[in-house]
Amino acid sequence: MAESLVVFDNVEKRFGDTIAVDRMNLDIRKGEFLVIMGSSGCGKTTTLRMLAGLDAPTQGEIRLDGRRINDLATWRRDTPMVWQSLALFPFLDVLQNVEFGLKMRGMDRARRRGKAMEWLDRMGIAEFARRDISQLSGGQRQRVALARSLVTEPEILLLDEPLSSLDAHLKVRMQAILSNLQKELGITFVYVTHSQSEAFAMGDRIVIMSRGRIEQIGAPVEIYRTPHNHFVAEFLGSSNIFQGRMAPMDGGLLPIETGQGRFYVNASGAGGKQEGASTTFVVGNDRMVLSEEQPADARNVLEGRVIGEEFVGATVTIHIETDDGQEIRAQKSHDEIAHLNTDVSTRIFVSWLPESAYVLPGE
Amino acid sequence: MKKVTIFGLSFSLPLLLWQLLFFAFPLFFLVALSFWVVENYRMVPDFDGVNWTKMFGRDVFWDTYLRTLALAAGASVLVSILAFPCSYGIAFKLSANLRRLAIFLMIIPFFTSYLVRVYSWQIFLSDNGIFNAAFGLLGMGPYTMLNTDFGTMVGYLTLCLPLVVLLQVFGLMFVDRTLIEAAHNLRCGRLRTVFLVVIPSARVGLVIAALFCFILTFGDFVGPLYLGGGKPPTLSIMITDTTKAGQQWPRAAVIAIVMIATLLVVAFSAIGYAYRKRA
Repeated sequence: MAESLVVFDNVEKRFGDTIAVDRMNLDIRKGEFLVIMGSSGCGKTTTLRMLAGLDAPTQGEIRLDGRRINDLATWRRDTPMVWQSLALFPFLDVLQNVEFGLKMRGMDRARRRGKAMEWLDRMGIAEFARRDISQLSGGQRQRVALARSLVTEPEILLLDEPLSSLDAHLKVRMQAILSNLQKELGITFVYVTHSQSEAFAMGDRIVIMSRGRIEQIGAPVEIYRTPHNHFVAEFLGSSNIFQGRMAPMDGGLLPIETGQGRFYVNASGAGGKQEGASTTFVVGNDRMVLSEEQPADARNVLEGRVIGEEFVGATVTIHIETDDGQEIRAQKSHDEIAHLNTDVSTRIFVSWLPESAYVLPGE
Repeated sequence: MKKVTIFGLSFSLPLLLWQLLFFAFPLFFLVALSFWVVENYRMVPDFDGVNWTKMFGRDVFWDTYLRTLALAAGASVLVSILAFPCSYGIAFKLSANLRRLAIFLMIIPFFTSYLVRVYSWQIFLSDNGIFNAAFGLLGMGPYTMLNTDFGTMVGYLTLCLPLVVLLQVFGLMFVDRTLIEAAHNLRCGRLRTVFLVVIPSARVGLVIAALFCFILTFGDFVGPLYLGGGKPPTLSIMITDTTKAGQQWPRAAVIAIVMIATLLVVAFSAIGYAYRKRA
């Protein structure tokens, strides 16, 4: 495993009576692209600001390269940040913005000009060096902000939802630029976002936060396929969630009694839980099988009515409501459902294989 | 073009008439007056450039002009510098409630007439006034403070300081806080950030504040006369002196026009500087 660059050791941040970050333990590794994801108010931005030195932890310790940095002023640490608003200086031109950090380090004019131009060139905006910030497009400003933070060659770059103001097309291009940049430089990126697509597209590891706590840390696929608990599964929205009680083993499969009936999961998923224990399992939206006739040999079947469908590019997500009111989502390619009638109110069968189900270990 | 309605006119017309009657017409009259001549202590309508050549030919006019310009410019710089730490504290360090209180306190001086405040300064500044009595207890002084440029400056500060603080506070309150954080984040220390980020960001407000100070002090009559002693005079004192000396209203008009022209040039260049794109 790679070396740690930053360690959050039992860090807590309170603003008055509200706890923004609650006893957080987190290792940020050297050279990784770490994404902190969560909805607004979950503490992700506060975490980033504490790392940048813009907010001080109430308790606990933050270490950078093994050194305690809790009380180190932000202007004494090398933790450059890219703001959501970018925070470019409107009274300076592009070049002056980029060389600002170098000027603060006392680098002489000729050298800092050269370095700043090198970075503008690298970001493909050298021709705008003498322009005003207000004359640039959103994507160009983004590049200026990145160049301004990276020109000092830091070990770590902090990014606070930097892409949220861009349109979808530009967002994807900037994601690729950020990903490549991080790989080329080999430095640590800590990226805060509420957007799943950004997190999954760029992150080596993803931290999911809710109400000041870390709910899960893991690689994107790991989080997607094996969410730790109900919150993560629901937050991602990519799985159907079922709650029930474990029944005695039945032919190598583990039956779970739920309000919708008895479903089977692979025995390996029991995770040492006892018979009768309450448990939650999830089935990925894309693992759901749809059919017009009741499937003869399926062990896990539900019947319901189509209540709507949602197009996302090449896939369609069909929303189905069972007779007792639970909503099921099935994500299919257009080809897979071409032979099916998916008009609203059509009765339809949903089935899945036992190995498609995953028992949440954290519930 | 928008249609002119009677409803609209009924609101705008009185102001328009007022402006025509009491601003545009007197201004025009002032210009005309500067070409009149005075014969046997009586003004006679004429079109003669004699007042202009006479006034512009006198060293005392140019001395007074430069002196007034220097005093007003000096006051603008001094007041801006004195006001800034106070405005910075109000805008950035106080809680919202305390900031409201501070703004209210800055308005209180306007409750009392400027003239009254200047007169009360005489009690403090005169040779046997309160300050010199205090200095005397310490075995110092007396110092002459009344009827000096120092006295004039005290008058100017009394006139402008609260207003300049208010204008600066409003300018500083709109500075984007993330710009300050971004500067810190790029290793810019606290004091350096004030000069490199806060002041350039608040430039419009700071320049307008200084401009108001210049406009008010350049034309001020009360401070330089009652605290500065009026000798040597400023331009506004020179206007009254000129009218008293042999009914020379036309020559006073020349001084007034020069003052108006100066204020226009200063105001336009200050606003041009304030809104210039880059620092």
